[in-house]
Amino acid sequence: MFQIIKNEWRFLVRSRIFLGITIAFSAIMLLSIFLGNYQIKKQEQTYQNAKDHVRQQWVSIDEMNPHSAAHYGTYVFKPSNLLSSLDEGVNSVTGNVLRVEGHVQNEIIHSEASQMQAVSRFGKLKPSLLLQYIVPLLLIFLAFNSVSNEKQSGRLKLLVLQGAKPIQLIFAKTLSVWLYGILLLTFIMTAYALFNSQNLSTDIVIRTGLFFSTYSLYYFIICGLTVFFSARWQNATVALTSMLGIWIIWTMFIPNILMSSAEKWHALPSRNEFQSAMTEDRSKGLDGHNPTDKRSIELKEKVLKEYGVDSVSQLPLNFDGMRMQADEDYGNSVWDKHFGNNRAILKQQKQSFQLGGIVNPFISLQNTSMGFMASDNLHHQAFLLQVENYRRVFIKMLNDKQIFGGSKTGNWSWKEDNAFFKSVPDFEYKPTQISEVLSNYMLDILLMILWSILVIILIVYGTKKIKII
Amino acid sequence: MIQIQDVSKSFKGDFAVQNLNLEVKKGEILGLLGANGAGKSTTINMLLGFLNPDSGNVYINKIDTSTNAHDTRKLIGYIPENVNLYPYLTGLENLDYFCKLAGLNYTKDELENYLSTCSLSSDAHHKKVSGYSKGMRQKVGIAIAYAKKAKVYLLDEPASGLDPLASNELSTLLQKLASEGASILMASHDIFRVREVCNRIGILKKGILVKELNSKDVSANELETLYLQFMQN
Repeated sequence: MFQIIKNEWRFLVRSRIFLGITIAFSAIMLLSIFLGNYQIKKQEQTYQNAKDHVRQQWVSIDEMNPHSAAHYGTYVFKPSNLLSSLDEGVNSVTGNVLRVEGHVQNEIIHSEASQMQAVSRFGKLKPSLLLQYIVPLLLIFLAFNSVSNEKQSGRLKLLVLQGAKPIQLIFAKTLSVWLYGILLLTFIMTAYALFNSQNLSTDIVIRTGLFFSTYSLYYFIICGLTVFFSARWQNATVALTSMLGIWIIWTMFIPNILMSSAEKWHALPSRNEFQSAMTEDRSKGLDGHNPTDKRSIELKEKVLKEYGVDSVSQLPLNFDGMRMQADEDYGNSVWDKHFGNNRAILKQQKQSFQLGGIVNPFISLQNTSMGFMASDNLHHQAFLLQVENYRRVFIKMLNDKQIFGGSKTGNWSWKEDNAFFKSVPDFEYKPTQISEVLSNYMLDILLMILWSILVIILIVYGTKKIKII
Repeated sequence: MIQIQDVSKSFKGDFAVQNLNLEVKKGEILGLLGANGAGKSTTINMLLGFLNPDSGNVYINKIDTSTNAHDTRKLIGYIPENVNLYPYLTGLENLDYFCKLAGLNYTKDELENYLSTCSLSSDAHHKKVSGYSKGMRQKVGIAIAYAKKAKVYLLDEPASGLDPLASNELSTLLQKLASEGASILMASHDIFRVREVCNRIGILKKGILVKELNSKDVSANELETLYLQFMQN
């Protein structure tokens, strides 16, 4: 088998066309990595500048009422991710700035796609685009006549007479084309590692290792199927047409159809429905800015009873702050209910889409690629959740200062000094653990392994019927 | 040694070979003459173990090809009408590759020696096969079989399209192989070449061996007359 692989590689190395294609393709890949890295580093710089600027504004608050500061709020920026220079995933369409303030959970804004027409129209030239669409095409063109050419030229007879078994031949041809894919993949990963040698962490190494493994599996599936068709069909054109058909169905039709279906099966409420439901539920709760609100009065009576006093002025704390925090707590529970429901629907959509990997390994590849490169919806949702958790801590800290900081109820002119504002922690993004990512994409990984096994079975059993003459 | 005993083979009800009996002894060259569709290639494919006879038996060195094709193929050298080698490899590399597939690791000198023995000029050894003539490729094809130390050579229209010089070189080479003890079966349309090279000649018509004779017993013109008679009747 080694001899056959070696011979196939001699063809690749000596073929000027393939050498030219490989060099041109490698140059495009290098360019895509360089541009991706340049953009990420630029984004990182912008992110850091914006973060520092906003933080500087916050820590420069000289004196301010804490609840006013809660309305003044701050901004959280989604950090750019070095990994996303390999696969951008959903990052260019999800926005990256979130305003954090009291009473309100704002939506993330300023997506790249909303600001750059080219991105919204064509996407960006990322290595993942080349690795998911172009490399498989190259592999198909390399493999479609690998066995049929031997048959048509009569060499297959000679090879079998020399002792090569058809199954050995097909596996060797599959492996040699697959190794070409692995070479391109290795080239990309090496270039990526060299460009980012200063910033490589264990997490990045593990994630890129997994990225490499899933692409390797997908390339094996593509190579195995193409060589199998090349062996089964008498005509190379039929093998090429079959594989191109599969490529189009896998990459264009099934993902779109399945995503649309998953969105219908597990429909998210429309923006209007969602806002109406949130407003309705919110109206059932306590209004922090309305002391005459029925629930505010109930809370007041409860607190007065608790402290054994008759009026809020006798309380050793600021009841306005308490009311604000109660409003906040209720708002949080409404948010948890509705956003929790949305997250559950998104999870169902994701699971339905993942099952598409049974008929289409490309879906599994896309899922894992984005997942391992931290640019999928899972990571985005985790970021949003972290921001919301931060918002709650942030607002509670301000409200607690309003309650227990020494002011009295109704004293809205009371102000806290700069030291307090400096003590409010800044948002720190905690990346999702790789173990969580793995558990989320285990189904995709298993489906790709199953597909690889299926291809091996196809080759083993299917090639028994191959006609040598 | 080749033995074909009462072999019949049909495709979709039409006989390609019918009750064929043939034997090629050690050191013997048998020429099979016949028109297109006479059953020559079917016979060779049964000897190669790529087709199984419907009835009868095919043996190479007393081993049944239909049940032990893997073993019999080790003994066979096959030279088709067009020896299609890998065009991006040199003649020497092609020989080396095919030998290695057969589990034979020869040194460069040994490989060169095989090519030279098969009359491929030494300046061609290191040239890519894409620049070879048909005759040169056939010499590499024979070198592959020769290096494999084949006991049996099966040639399907080997002289077709060769220029007279190359054809003559092929004849000399086959006689050399036979003198070294090989059994050779050569299917051809070329009456004169078969008469010149082979010890015995069989004429196949519609899958039936209609005549078998020693080449010594007949002149080239007589053989042509005889062949035409069989083909026209």
